[in-house]
Amino acid sequence: MEPIAPRNLTAQLAYRARGNPPGTTPASSVGNFYPGLELDLRNLWRRVFAGIELHEAVALVLAVDDDAPPEVQALVGEILLTVDGHPVWIEVTGPREPGGASESLGNWSLEWSNALADIVHKAGQEVRCTFTKGDDDQQDVSLRVRQIFEPGPEGGEDARTAVLSRELAQPGELTQSLCSPWQNDFIGCGCYYWAASRPDYVNVEFDEADGSRGHNWLQRDRTPATPKFYTLRQADLLQHADIIAGWEDKLSFVLKGRDDHDRDGD
Amino acid sequence: MTATVTEPRVRGYHLFDGGTGPHILVSEGSLVYAIPPEVRELFEDAAAARDETAASALLARFGLDVSVGLDEAPGEVPLRSISLAIAQTCNLSCTYCYAEQGDFGGAAKLMSEQVAHAAVERLVDDAAAGEQVTIAFLGGEPLANRRVLRSATEHAAARAVERGVRVGYSITTNGTLVTPDDAEFFARHGFAVTVSLDGVGAVHDRLRPARNGRPTYDRVLRRLEPLLSERRRTMNLSARVTVTPRNLCLPETLDEFISLGFDSVGFSPMLSSPTGADEMAGTDLTAMLEQMTACAERFEERVGSGVPYPFLNAVNALREIHRGTHRPYPCGAGAGYMGASADGELFACHRFVGDDERKMGDVLTGVDPARQLKWLDDRHVHRQQPCSGCWARYLCGGGCHHEVIGRGRPACDYIRGWLHHCLCMYARLREKRPEYLDMMARGR
Repeated sequence: MEPIAPRNLTAQLAYRARGNPPGTTPASSVGNFYPGLELDLRNLWRRVFAGIELHEAVALVLAVDDDAPPEVQALVGEILLTVDGHPVWIEVTGPREPGGASESLGNWSLEWSNALADIVHKAGQEVRCTFTKGDDDQQDVSLRVRQIFEPGPEGGEDARTAVLSRELAQPGELTQSLCSPWQNDFIGCGCYYWAASRPDYVNVEFDEADGSRGHNWLQRDRTPATPKFYTLRQADLLQHADIIAGWEDKLSFVLKGRDDHDRDGD
Repeated sequence: MTATVTEPRVRGYHLFDGGTGPHILVSEGSLVYAIPPEVRELFEDAAAARDETAASALLARFGLDVSVGLDEAPGEVPLRSISLAIAQTCNLSCTYCYAEQGDFGGAAKLMSEQVAHAAVERLVDDAAAGEQVTIAFLGGEPLANRRVLRSATEHAAARAVERGVRVGYSITTNGTLVTPDDAEFFARHGFAVTVSLDGVGAVHDRLRPARNGRPTYDRVLRRLEPLLSERRRTMNLSARVTVTPRNLCLPETLDEFISLGFDSVGFSPMLSSPTGADEMAGTDLTAMLEQMTACAERFEERVGSGVPYPFLNAVNALREIHRGTHRPYPCGAGAGYMGASADGELFACHRFVGDDERKMGDVLTGVDPARQLKWLDDRHVHRQQPCSGCWARYLCGGGCHHEVIGRGRPACDYIRGWLHHCLCMYARLREKRPEYLDMMARGR
């Protein structure tokens, strides 16, 4: 049977695809931004600067427009350090373990919707952006900030609507990272965000003298024989591809705080 | 387009097919969907049996039951639009005039500058910075009190700048008193000018004679020359045709007025006049629907091939259908819109000036919230009959309050017939010119 096709604007807003539950309309959206359950709004920031395409979560230039000027063409693969004088890629410092001395924990991208909040008001203007290839060499390039919202029918104070600008995302981009939402969230949301289904710390043993020892739940290797040392090294941890492609093999039931039990047994 | 096609059968939906396959209008939310023929059969069976339970179950089964919360009256609504009966007198004596030749059945009055300024302040001062308000000059013939009209406009413009409020102006005039200087003034302030014209030449003259009986059509067109030939893009000029049994020649009228250069041309049936003169009855409304349909066919042909044809009724209907406008009132009367009399009393709209039952306050003390709440509660379409069972209730809103209170609802078949035709036209243009509908839906 051909589908029931929404024709006017209210029908499009209210439309529920066959088989989808009521909670799938935009009006019932859970506005969780990281990455969200219906839209991954991180994708809005990928094209916020005319000429370049950023990673949705990392201050990395993934691509440039074919017709961009040479200084912009050269930015592919570079890290965006600052926008309009504000850092977006920062060194994180702190103790690596409780009570430890503060030290560098590496560089991290700031979350886009906070880090770029100020430039939303500079849509249409050029802002100075500083890039690096990862060495000490840095270059400044001025980039135009795209419109975040579609302009309204009137100029002046009515110039903005609540409609996200078509310039910011190609059709499908706002949802393309949602094909595996729970896997995405299980990696993205640690720090005791989850209840028992996705613990941060498993197979824990307590020792009066040394405190606790255990495994990071995302650790690749966490058998009973694996030394109990909580690791944050990316090389030690399951990545998106691992858990999307083979979560059944990689994740176990967590029973009484342990998931290093024998999977073939009971 | 007979009553059998459009008569209310179930309250939740209406089926239509304009040649592009079966469609459904879901009343709650004014949702329009294309549906497969087998689904149409199910909805048709429930409607033919007038089975409300089955109809509701079908809407739920196909996920078309959307709750849009139209049950409640809106409560106190801030005033955002006001009309000033700036001159309760007129130099014409149109047979059907709701204002009874301008004076609303009382003594001729001109609004004083003091009252006009108080009305402007009531409106502008109640709005927050960035908001838009609208001032409409009506009468009688508003240009009979030109001095106060201009003074009120300039006062509003200055006060709006001080407060960061945006003001739109409109005037509805019979056109006989417009001067070149008025044209300049209207353009400067971005007026929407509506001229009442009831047909071409003698047709107009029969319905809209001067007080002394002389014809007015040629005089009006002469007076409008500066507006038609030199007007700025900042101004909008419309022709409004009140349709009576004596000027049922709508396609010719529409073509002529569009070719004269009006930005839009609209028709409205005369449903209730103080003396009953020239009111439209059943067969007249059937004839009017046929003519409106003929106008819409011209409109669709031109718009379908990218040629503008500003037939206001069709443009408005398509805009509302495309947006899915759904409202439990026909207009903003007594809500965000009030009509101020020459004395400064506020009424539910410009047509109720002098009607103490529909008095809502005055420009000095503002809107009386108790009266407004009662009005909005009483006039809600769910309280209107037979509206609450009609599929068109949220597009129509129950019909003009003034006409309904004066005469009841003689035009339901006409309204449904017109909406049905516009829904069919919408489905066709949705295929042929979707970008036109999107562009139009963004405008006011």
